[in-house]
Amino acid sequence: MSQSTSRSPIDVESLVENFNYRRVGKYALVVLFLGFFLVPLETGIMTALKTNSAIARSLPFAPPAGEGFTLTNLEYAFSQLTNSFVNSLLMAVPATLLNVLLASMAAYGLTMVSWRGQIAVFALFLVGVFVPYQAVLVPLSQFWNNMFPLARMLEPLFAAIPFLQGGHSRLVPLTITHVAYGIPICTVLFRSYYKSLPNSLVEAAKIDGASITKIYRRIVLPLSLPMFGVVFIYQFTQIYNEFLFSFTLITGSNHPAAPVTLILPAIGSSTEGIDFGIRMSAAFLAALPTIILYVAFAEQFAKGLRTESG
Amino acid sequence: MATRDTTEPTNQSGVSTDEVVDWKTKLRYFLNSDFVRSSPYWGIPFILMGIAVYGGIGYNIVISFTDYSGLQPPSFSGLDLEMYRTALASGAFREAAVNNFVLLVSFTVISLILGLFLAILLDHGIRYKNKVQTIYLLPMALSFVVTAQLWLWMFNPDSGVLTVIVTTFGFDPIDWLGNPRLALPAVIFALVWQFSGYAMVVYLAGLQSIPDDQFEAAKVDGASTIRTYLRIIVPQLKESSVSAAVVLMVFALKAFTFLYSLVGQYRPPNGTDILATLMVRQAFKFGKWAYGAAIATMLLLLALSVIAPYLAYQYRQGSL
Amino acid sequence: MGRIQLDHLTKRFGETVAVEDVTLDTEDGEFLILVGPSGCGKSTTLRMIAGLERPTDGNLYIDGDHMNYRVPQNRDIAMVFQDYALYPHMTVRENIRFGLEEEAGYTAAEMDEQVEATAADLGIVDLLDRKPGELSGGQQQRVALGRAIVRDPEVFLMDEPLANLDAKLRSQMRTELQQLQADLDVTTVYVTHNQTEAMTMGDRLAVLNDGRLQQVGEPLTLYHEPANQFVAGFIGEPMMNFLHGHADDETFTGSGLEYPLDDRLADAVGDTDELVLGVRPEAIDVRRADEATGEREPGPHEFRMQVAVSETHGDQNVVSMTVDDEETDHDALRAVTDGMHVVTQGDSVVVTIDPETVHVFDGETGETLCNRLLETDPELAAVSSN
Repeated sequence: MSQSTSRSPIDVESLVENFNYRRVGKYALVVLFLGFFLVPLETGIMTALKTNSAIARSLPFAPPAGEGFTLTNLEYAFSQLTNSFVNSLLMAVPATLLNVLLASMAAYGLTMVSWRGQIAVFALFLVGVFVPYQAVLVPLSQFWNNMFPLARMLEPLFAAIPFLQGGHSRLVPLTITHVAYGIPICTVLFRSYYKSLPNSLVEAAKIDGASITKIYRRIVLPLSLPMFGVVFIYQFTQIYNEFLFSFTLITGSNHPAAPVTLILPAIGSSTEGIDFGIRMSAAFLAALPTIILYVAFAEQFAKGLRTESG
Repeated sequence: MATRDTTEPTNQSGVSTDEVVDWKTKLRYFLNSDFVRSSPYWGIPFILMGIAVYGGIGYNIVISFTDYSGLQPPSFSGLDLEMYRTALASGAFREAAVNNFVLLVSFTVISLILGLFLAILLDHGIRYKNKVQTIYLLPMALSFVVTAQLWLWMFNPDSGVLTVIVTTFGFDPIDWLGNPRLALPAVIFALVWQFSGYAMVVYLAGLQSIPDDQFEAAKVDGASTIRTYLRIIVPQLKESSVSAAVVLMVFALKAFTFLYSLVGQYRPPNGTDILATLMVRQAFKFGKWAYGAAIATMLLLLALSVIAPYLAYQYRQGSL
Repeated sequence: MGRIQLDHLTKRFGETVAVEDVTLDTEDGEFLILVGPSGCGKSTTLRMIAGLERPTDGNLYIDGDHMNYRVPQNRDIAMVFQDYALYPHMTVRENIRFGLEEEAGYTAAEMDEQVEATAADLGIVDLLDRKPGELSGGQQQRVALGRAIVRDPEVFLMDEPLANLDAKLRSQMRTELQQLQADLDVTTVYVTHNQTEAMTMGDRLAVLNDGRLQQVGEPLTLYHEPANQFVAGFIGEPMMNFLHGHADDETFTGSGLEYPLDDRLADAVGDTDELVLGVRPEAIDVRRADEATGEREPGPHEFRMQVAVSETHGDQNVVSMTVDDEETDHDALRAVTDGMHVVTQGDSVVVTIDPETVHVFDGETGETLCNRLLETDPELAAVSSN
């Protein structure tokens, strides 16, 4: 009897202790991984704000102190990137808009309206998500350079537009390329959303006498506005971040139409090696639009990702 | 209320109802069918995508059978498998294929394990869970081009963060990317950093779909937390694992951009050459278009060997 | 006007047959109910009438016009869905108006007037500017009805429209729907799996099972003269009792009991071997053993049984009984007794089954061999008013 009464407070105590250890351990792990995911970013930003001598002397992740602080690198990187920011936006915004619209239409035709064989057609879209772009790269450059040199045709037109040069015409085939290859993933995203809408809505509209177009315009489009946001954020990030198509269709990093991702790997390097102050500044600036979008719309972004995995 | 005996407007009773539907009616029905009337919606994107993806793949395969190189236009007269034979006999190709395989498998497995661990960690009543999740997923929003720069600096042998860590423990600085044996693991590490958050998100969604009472039932049965997860929860995450694995592998196949941006040139660090980098180098640097196309075709086959079983599985599950 | 004819209508989805060879003819203004267990093809039939599914075989006519190849909007129909299918982003007004916009010959003002008038009929004027998400289930139901009524169609189609309502609201809406249908005098095809709904609402019932039409008729015809064992079992709650067994020498031998067949039953049986006897629970007379026969032996149509379960409903009791011996796997009999006549579990009872109330079915095909005797019409009227 006495044994049990004397033991029970100890038990409770050890339980509490145990519990606390666990909690502490858990949060320690959470913080450790916060470090793991943030240190490369943090180091990059800190390096961007340091003078070259401070970079050489201080710890890479330490914040700049006193004399070591400078905005010169950021300013230089910004001046190098200004044009390419414009190029990236000129390409990414229309490409994303077209992408989202076409994908929503495709998903509507493949989901809300039912006809035989649509699964097979959809499967073709789905495979398109997973195709490595290397498999179309040679034909792509062949097509836009030799078979249908749209950029060359549009060059005089672009030369006539103020603030742009003839070389910017290369953004047109690049945009079209992004639209075409972005359709599969965006269609998959929209389709998963449309499948979650009750079928009876479309059927009711049909019986109400609405045409396929009216159903899309009056019922499906208004209902999928939230999904338009999700897909837009997701796809804009993808296109803005993309490198391979720009690399293939615009080629040089010193081309007037080069988007940000094409210029970044070349910034701040010279025969003596890489100037990391400038390189990190440029990386930070290049990432800034996507980081802002991501932080502002983290939930939509995560939703897009979850849908992608089915 | 009219009775049924009133005169019938058209003849439709009994056997005579097998009226012949003429082709005009059928055509009208066809033109009115959902297939036709919805075709502008899916047809336009389908044609655009179809030309780009399938036309591209087809033309790529055709080019891979030629010996197209340099600035001369391709000649389609003598089609053969020469380029494939050359590739399979080449040491560089085999090395790239092995590297590709190692990258694909180890990146996917490590990302899945880390992602599962993080998901379980966050699923455990952590405060600010959404904010933490947002940060864990942040690298995913960055371009390969950007993350390559960040890791180039992390791996820098003079003053990178990893060098600082290594020297703090009293070791000599290591040239991670310069050492052919360490370069590939270093790249894999960086890619895991970028994408394990994705696996975490997929697993978290999977965990949330498991009803809480299963945890509670296990708790009542006296199972430990670890046992509960290993025996009850993880087996139910099979679906999540499969879909996350497939998407991760696709990311891995796109690692070209990361490797290129790391050095800003066609030749990635020694020991990290994969099929994608080899292909782009052969085609766009050396102008060996047909050879590049052949490598690309084999890369596509590799990708399809991952995707096809997955899609077939999804189709059989009826979740396509 | 609004006459629907199904002529050997068949619908296959790949290998599975959803609806097989259904021939059915409604009268104008009729309230026809398609009823059957889930998966019996009733919804598919309705969707074929609506034009949402195309028949694989057979023909469909509305008003004498061939419909197979017509899209829904050219059929002059309106449909109410089980989940109401209200457009969530539109107000009630816009929801009801949506269908009108497609009908030719309305000005905007006329449409608004129509919407108001319909809303007034249904008592939902106050809700016109709300969104469906802000409405209760019953209110959504009314909006869905309004959307159907406003277009003044030839035919109403309703797919389990009351299934999502709670029990009390459901019985209220049942009455309202009937009233509405009678007022509008529009041919209505109504799908339900609920046999009570079917019995109480329909002018006629069409019972489906496994895609096949089992029987079409007025509710009481189906109740008293089912065409086969399926209809007999499906219509009526509690369900008809079925006793499985064989006929020997004008005697039916089931598990644990023997029942002498009178001439009428014996004639119907002929030389069919496997039989199923059917008796409605309310046709079984139950008396406590001590009150009934005392010590005298039970008559030929009387059995001693034991009460297994007795459910009291207040107005009536549902009593399950088994034969009073050692073996356990006998068919149980369920009887409905008067509310005041209470027996309790374990009671010994004497059960009387009048041969005139017995249905006989072929044990192999389920076809009806003979139905119960119905006496005169006034008697039938008395039954129906109960």
